[in-house]
Amino acid sequence: MTSKWLDAYHDPVASLYTFTQCLTLADIQADGDWKLIIADLGTGSYDMKLKVYKNTNLMSEHAIIDLPTGVVNFYMDTLEPRTPAIAVASGPYIYIYKNLRPYFKFTLPPLSINQIEQELWEQAKHDNINVFVLRDALEGLRSDGQLLTVRSLKFLQLESTDLEAFANLHKHAPLKRQTVITCLDTLKKSLADEDAISCLVVGTENKSIYILDPEAFTVLTTVDLPSIPVFISVNGLYDVEYRLVVSCRNGCIYTLKRGSKEGSKYCIELNSQPVGMERINKTIYVGCMDETLQCYSSKGKKLWTIKLPTSITTMKTLDYSPRQLKTLLVALSNNEIHMYKDKYLVDVIKTEGVVTGLQFGRFGREDGTLVMTTRGGGLFVKILKRSAKFEEKDALAGPPISQNQKINIPKKTKLFVDQTLRERQNAVAMHRTFQRDLYLLRLNTARQYVKALDNSMNPISSDPTEPLKLSAQIQGIGPTFKLTVNLQNTSLSQPTSNLIITFNYDDKLYSFRNKFIEAPMLVPGLNYAFETFIDCLNEKGVSDNVKVYVLKSGRSVPIITGVISMPVSEAVAVA
Amino acid sequence: MGLFDMLARWLGVKKKEANVLVVGLDNSGKTTILNQLKPDDTKAHDIVPTVGFNVEKFATKSLSFTAFDMSGQGRYRNLWEHYYRECHGVIFVVDSSDKLRMVVAKDELDQLLQHPDVKNRRIPILFFANKMDMREAVSSVKCSSLMELELIRDKPWHICASNAMTGEGLHEGVEWLTDQIKDLVDKKK
Repeated sequence: MTSKWLDAYHDPVASLYTFTQCLTLADIQADGDWKLIIADLGTGSYDMKLKVYKNTNLMSEHAIIDLPTGVVNFYMDTLEPRTPAIAVASGPYIYIYKNLRPYFKFTLPPLSINQIEQELWEQAKHDNINVFVLRDALEGLRSDGQLLTVRSLKFLQLESTDLEAFANLHKHAPLKRQTVITCLDTLKKSLADEDAISCLVVGTENKSIYILDPEAFTVLTTVDLPSIPVFISVNGLYDVEYRLVVSCRNGCIYTLKRGSKEGSKYCIELNSQPVGMERINKTIYVGCMDETLQCYSSKGKKLWTIKLPTSITTMKTLDYSPRQLKTLLVALSNNEIHMYKDKYLVDVIKTEGVVTGLQFGRFGREDGTLVMTTRGGGLFVKILKRSAKFEEKDALAGPPISQNQKINIPKKTKLFVDQTLRERQNAVAMHRTFQRDLYLLRLNTARQYVKALDNSMNPISSDPTEPLKLSAQIQGIGPTFKLTVNLQNTSLSQPTSNLIITFNYDDKLYSFRNKFIEAPMLVPGLNYAFETFIDCLNEKGVSDNVKVYVLKSGRSVPIITGVISMPVSEAVAVA
Repeated sequence: MGLFDMLARWLGVKKKEANVLVVGLDNSGKTTILNQLKPDDTKAHDIVPTVGFNVEKFATKSLSFTAFDMSGQGRYRNLWEHYYRECHGVIFVVDSSDKLRMVVAKDELDQLLQHPDVKNRRIPILFFANKMDMREAVSSVKCSSLMELELIRDKPWHICASNAMTGEGLHEGVEWLTDQIKDLVDKKK
C-alpha cells in the first residue's frame, strides 16, 4: 500500500511546544496564501510566543505574556480585504491580533469577591490588623471552602518573613478575582458563509461559558456548567440556533442549546476522562484516557467503542471538502496517527515522534494539508495526495462489514412476548428439564451403543483380534440388485482367515442368488469385494432392511454386522 | 491542405507546427509564461486563474507552437492526461518559491511520467523553475534535485530558472524545446 500522503515539510528541531488547541490555519493577509499560526508555550513558564509560518518559513513572532490556552482565527468585521483576526486566549485575557499586530485585549468579567476577604484586606490597607491576623483569618476562610483571590492564595503560600513586604506592596491595589480561560472556539453570528462574522465562545475555570460579541466585545450569553469545561465543539449560528458540546473535567459531556442557561439536561457520563472531543455531523467522537475511542449520537446515545492500541494524545477532524471527506484523526502515543471514517480505520500515518498538535486544512495554496507538531518540538507537514482514496473498510483484520449491517427485524408478536415472559419466569425449571432430558438422551445413546457392541451390530469390529471394516452397497434399480460387500482388514500386520459372509433377510421379499460367501484370507490393508445378486419378489413397492453378517467359523456371535436398507424395486416387466 | 500550403512548405516558408502541453500546479505561472511568449500585440494585461484550459499560439524562428495551457487547480488536474497523446513536448512549470508544494509538483510529475501515453515516448520535457526573483526561491539545481529529475533517463529534459514577469530565462528554455522537437520530427522523416 503506497502512502496517501506526501511529505511536504519536515523539521524535527523546530523547538515548538504546543498543542492542537494552539494551532490554526488562516489567510491572515487575504492573499490566498494561508499561514500557519502557532501559539508556542515556550519553556512552559516563559518565552511564550505567537509564531506565524508562511510556507515553510517563520514569518513573524510575537511575545505572549501568559501561557496560551487556545488560538482561533475569526472574522470580526466586514471590511475589505477580508482579513481574519487571530484570538489568543491566555489567562483571563483574549488578545486579538489583526494584520499581525496587536489590536485589542479583552478581559473576562471579574468574579465576585468574598465579602470577608474584601474587608480583611480593607483593614490591612488601613493597618488596623497586622499581617499574621490577616493570614490566620484568610487561612480560616480557605479551610471553610471559600474561593479566594489569587492575591490571598499567594499570600498564604509565603514564609512569615515575606508577609509584611507582600502585603505592603499589594494592599493598595483594588482586590480582583479573575478566572482563567480553558478553551476557546468560534461561532458564526448570523450568516453561515466562510467569511461571516463569528462570535468567540470561551470556557473558563469558574465553570462558565461566555459567548462574546466580536464587534463590541461584550458578553452576549453566559452559561453555567456543573464542571470546568475542557473541550468545546460548536456549530450553528448564534442568531438562529446553535449547539455547544462541552466536555468537562468531571468526565461528562454536556450539550447546550440556544437559550439554555445550564447544561445538565443532556449529559453523557464517560467512564474515563476525555482527552479529545470532536464532532462530525451529528455524532460526537470522544477519545478517553482508557485508550478507547467512543462515539455518541447528538442525543447522547452511545453508538460504538473502539479499543485503541495505546493512549491517545490528541484528536482532530479532517474535513476535506473537495472530496467530501470527513474523517477523524487520532494521534496515538506509539508514533502513529489513525484515521477513522465512522468506525472504520481507513489509514495509519507513521510519524517521527509523538504527535501533540494536529491541524488539517488549507496551508499555503494546498487544501489538504496536515500539520503536526510533536512532543519533541518537531513540525511536520503532510499533503493529501490527489490520487488518495479512502475505502470505507477496515484496514485491520476484523469482523466483516456485513456484520454491522442492520437486519430488518420484524415487530415482536404477542406470542413472542408471551414466550419471552414465560422463559424469563420459568428459566430455572426449563433449564432443569432440558438438562434431565439431555442426560436421558445420553444414557439412551450409551445403552444402545453397548447393545450394539454386545451384538456386534456395528460395521466396524471392536474385537481387537479381528479388526475388520465392512461396507456394503446396493446397485441397480430392481427388480434385480447387485450387492457389493467390501471387507477390509484394518490390523497392521495380522491376516485374518476363516471368515464367512452371510445375510439375514425376509425370504418372502428377496431371494439371494448367493446366500453364503466364504471369504479368503484377508491381507491387512487390502480391500476385498464380494458380490451377489438379489431378486426382489414383491411387486408392490415394498422394501425392507437386509443385514450382512461377517462370521468366524466356530463362533456364534457375528464379528460385524451391516444393515442395508434396500431401495424400492421397479415393477417387474410384465412378461 | 491547400495547394498554396503545400507549395509554401516545400519552399520552406511555412514553419512546422508542434503541440506543447503546459502543466504545473496552480499559481506557478503557466499562463503568465505563455503570455510573455506571445507577440506583444496580443498580450493580456491581467492574468486570472485558468479554468479548464486555454489554447495559445506562439512561434519561434523555426517552429510554430500550439500551447495547451492547462489549469493547475486540483480539481482540473485530471484533465491533463487527455492531452498527453497529441503533444510533442511538455512544459512543466514549478513555483520555485513554494517549497511546501514541491512534493505535490513531484507527485504530479511522477503521475505524468507513468501515464501510458507518455511512458514509452521520448517526449522532451522543459522545466521552468519560475519565480526566481522571489526571496524564498530555490535555485534551479536545488529544484531539480527536489523534483528528482535526475531519475528521468528515457526522456530529454532541461530545467531553467525563469521569471515570467520579465521574461527572463524563457527564451533559453523555449529554444531548447524547439531544438528537441525539431530533432524528433527530423528523425521521424
